[in-house]
Amino acid sequence: MSTDVQKTTAKAIPSTRRVTISDSAHMPHDYSTTPGGTLFSTTPGGTRIIYDRKFLLECRSSPVTKTPPKGLPVIPGVTSPPSGDPTEKTQNGELLNNNNIPAPEGSNTGDDSQFEMDI
Amino acid sequence: MTQVFFHFAVCFPTKSSLKDDDSGDHDQDQGSPKDSEKEKTEDEDKEQNSSKKKMVVPGAGEHPLQYNYTFWYSRRTPGRPASTQSYEQNIKQIGSFASVEQFWRFYSHMIRPGDLTGHSDFHLFKEGIKPMWEDDANKMGGKWIIRLRKGLASRCWENLILAMLGEQFMVGEEICGAVVSVRFQEDIISIWNKTASDQATTARIRDTLRRVLNLPPNTIMEYKTHTDSIKYVLISYIKTCRIVSV
Repeated sequence: MSTDVQKTTAKAIPSTRRVTISDSAHMPHDYSTTPGGTLFSTTPGGTRIIYDRKFLLECRSSPVTKTPPKGLPVIPGVTSPPSGDPTEKTQNGELLNNNNIPAPEGSNTGDDSQFEMDI
Repeated sequence: MTQVFFHFAVCFPTKSSLKDDDSGDHDQDQGSPKDSEKEKTEDEDKEQNSSKKKMVVPGAGEHPLQYNYTFWYSRRTPGRPASTQSYEQNIKQIGSFASVEQFWRFYSHMIRPGDLTGHSDFHLFKEGIKPMWEDDANKMGGKWIIRLRKGLASRCWENLILAMLGEQFMVGEEICGAVVSVRFQEDIISIWNKTASDQATTARIRDTLRRVLNLPPNTIMEYKTHTDSIKYVLISYIKTCRIVSV
């Protein structure tokens, strides 16, 4: 990312930015979905795919997440139960690591168990 | 001494095979994975991968991410020096993903960092960027570090990586990846960016961290450049070393 635009500190999105386009492939596909949408045409680097926390958490309940990815390496205590621990299984799509957080539906609203923050 | 020099002699040239282009289309690291334990988990998507360089693509109906990312795991053998040579040998790729759903698929089948034992780290970096200082994307970079008392790591790590995957930082191509480090008395989370000298970027990353992490009051955040980290290691292990513009 170039820094020649502005030397501001924590400003929002730069309102003016010159970007040299040398190839049509550098053009974003969509310039104008910002109002009410999630794409910002003036983000440094061009259009971005932006998701907020709440939306990402909602995707957690997708069926595809229930089974381990193919080729997930077996690392005892990390991607599989610690060796010798017979209580948990990774087979049959059972989740092994979510024992201390609420079910995905419960955590969708996000801030339920957030601790407080002081800026 | 030989260990560190060996590292620099060997690792810098191999890193040149890692391309760090700004298109966001990061090359897969096809260069030199010396780690024979490295698992290739991207194979399942090969059939969908026609001419694109990316090994992993979003499945039908899935929500694509701005970048592909790779999960890594490392665990340091107690008592061994933290030279990057042993670091590279200790680090394992868990797998890469291209969509929100694929991310959850990995995440839901990995232990949460707060439940890790020993001296362990999870790393989540853009595909093609190794979680090492010496990677081309990292060598001019630095990281924000937040030290957490025990019990906070899982929640903070989740918030951190969700913000990264969702492009909440708004710093263009600057973000490289994030790390959670489980240590004896505290845990550390950090987020790495490409250009340590870019103060507008580092300030925006800091402000976003404060916004997304829900940090307890009086949490201290510090920014460290990777060159400082490298110097620290060199000074620690080679007392007479003259550092020539690392």
